[in-house]
Amino acid sequence: MRIGIMSFAHLHALSYVHHLGHMADIELVGVADDDAARGQRYAGQYGLKYFDTYEALLAEKLDAVVICSENAYHHRLTVMAAEAGAHVLCEKPLMTSIEEGKAMLAACEKADVKLMTAFPMRFNAPTIEGRKVVTSGSLGKIYGCSTTNQGKMPRDVSWFTNKKLAGGGALTDHTVHVADLLRWYLGCEVVEVFAESNAILNSDFKPEVETGGIVMLKFENGTFATIDCSWSKPPFYPTWGGVTMELVGETGVLSVNAFKQTIAVYSHETDRPSWPFWGSDSDGGMINEFLTSVRENRQPAVTGYDGFKAAEIALAAHRSVEIGQPVSLPLQG
Amino acid sequence: MFRIGIVGTGVMGGFHAASWARTPAEVVGVLSLDRDQAQAVANYVNCQVYDDLDALIHDVDVIDVCTPTDTHHEIVLRAAAAGKQIVCEKPLARTYTEGREIIEACEKAGVKLLVGQVVRFFPEYALAKSVVEAGKIGQVGVIRLKRVGFQPSRNPNWFADFDRSGGVILDLMIHDFDYARWVAGDVESVFARNVRSNQANTMDDYCLAILKHKSGAISHVEGAWAYPAPLFRTALEIAGDGGLIEHPAGSSVPLEIHLDQLPDGSRPNPGVPTSPLLDDPYVLEIQHFYEILSGANIPLRITGADALAALQIALAAVQSAQTGKRVKIEEVA
Repeated sequence: MRIGIMSFAHLHALSYVHHLGHMADIELVGVADDDAARGQRYAGQYGLKYFDTYEALLAEKLDAVVICSENAYHHRLTVMAAEAGAHVLCEKPLMTSIEEGKAMLAACEKADVKLMTAFPMRFNAPTIEGRKVVTSGSLGKIYGCSTTNQGKMPRDVSWFTNKKLAGGGALTDHTVHVADLLRWYLGCEVVEVFAESNAILNSDFKPEVETGGIVMLKFENGTFATIDCSWSKPPFYPTWGGVTMELVGETGVLSVNAFKQTIAVYSHETDRPSWPFWGSDSDGGMINEFLTSVRENRQPAVTGYDGFKAAEIALAAHRSVEIGQPVSLPLQG
Repeated sequence: MFRIGIVGTGVMGGFHAASWARTPAEVVGVLSLDRDQAQAVANYVNCQVYDDLDALIHDVDVIDVCTPTDTHHEIVLRAAAAGKQIVCEKPLARTYTEGREIIEACEKAGVKLLVGQVVRFFPEYALAKSVVEAGKIGQVGVIRLKRVGFQPSRNPNWFADFDRSGGVILDLMIHDFDYARWVAGDVESVFARNVRSNQANTMDDYCLAILKHKSGAISHVEGAWAYPAPLFRTALEIAGDGGLIEHPAGSSVPLEIHLDQLPDGSRPNPGVPTSPLLDDPYVLEIQHFYEILSGANIPLRITGADALAALQIALAAVQSAQTGKRVKIEEVA
């Protein structure tokens, strides 16, 4: 299978390239990037061919592409790839507007290519196990869920805090993972979104986007859930952040901590503790599912529509902050 | 030396009686609708059981109100009118009007009003507050507070009667509403969702609330009477622009005891961790109140106005959960 990498703006691309590089029957054809210096740097690092334009890369008769551009460019690159007949694995959040998302879904449908959203949390072993508990019914009806996807502010990659390129800050970056997990766990859609946000955390960085936020979702089955999407872990925190979910049901409670499988290391080299992760690698499972869905010509386990619905929640969260009240879904484009 | 009269001898009345015993004050009388329960407390502190509230008020310097929430107003007003100092369990009152009248009555009578927002006396909470106060984590951006447990069982169970207790929001979450306000200042608006079952054998009550403070900070507050017994957990997290304070649930349990059976042959209650203190928070609270009553020149840690503000936040959460809308704090008056 011939695969191209479209942009290294999102550094998850490094992990995806690493996994693809170790898979049988995969040919990494090359890399293109809006930022030539960035693209050439990573192409060099991984021994990949660099293409000056996306058009040139797509002219290589690729089977599939991985898109890790700035959020605002997902739309343009996905439509280009679809029109070139390449299946698409696109980094989250899928889009920065409803119109973009609808156009992406339509383009992939029209070209009959798969569109998968990069939601590696669906392939995280503890979250998979947690979903089994929920769908087994042993918690009874789920009353509500208190969840977090907190992290450090991405300080080294400037577009994350650029409103135009990212579409927003913490609300955009960190709402979609857990929003997707909750849709997956509960098997139903969100009907209403409320959010509060601020830009107090990381104020030394003078961010132009929100750095702290809490979102409240209401699902069509009545379950409510909060997502703390704040960039609230300081730069010296022992790990990047984490994902936690506590689901409270009629007959029990489930706590999931997706990244708790760590050891604590105290090294003179760093002068502070670090918590390296030893749990199963979810990125590998995600890449594998994408490739398998292409080979078997079936829908991937996480679709473009899943990415659309999660990103719609983040967009609604921004709108709620603007108007100060809950916002109903689906959003009108 | 002060003579104390305790009204209400449930769990809190018992705690207060034991705590007054750790001060120079003397509990001279207790009164309860449950005479056996009152007698048990009276035996413990060696005092008289009263049947008549006015007789008890007549014989003491301080009335300590530990009765169900909806009765605070009447008892406090009677004691204040008689010129007695007031100690009152949280929540200050069942309604905002009652709370305001309690404050006015105590002011008019020139008596002190000391409200048992005991979380301000929990060493871990007081320590976190002092770390914030010392500027060690900069400006507060996002606070997370959790207080979850099982359904209180009393006979008769006034907690289960929303009109009397205000449910988990007024009875339990008020601790964290008060704490959030203590740490991050006045609250501007509240958004909350709640589920409450009112079946005969269950009174599951679960709520998630988002507070927006006037400072711009956001607080996430979780409260539950819905977890399987004997689970009871609290957690606090305060993120600022200069650092982070974490105190996850169960993180500071210095003793774990696992026994095949207790000396009397019964099975031990599993899962009850113990965090021993030489002076428990109720003792610290009552000792502080004793000092204030004695005229010590120290700041009162929780004023009547603070207790009323906490009640106002809780009532705003109730209103938001009912209407599904964000409630501005001044709407509760």
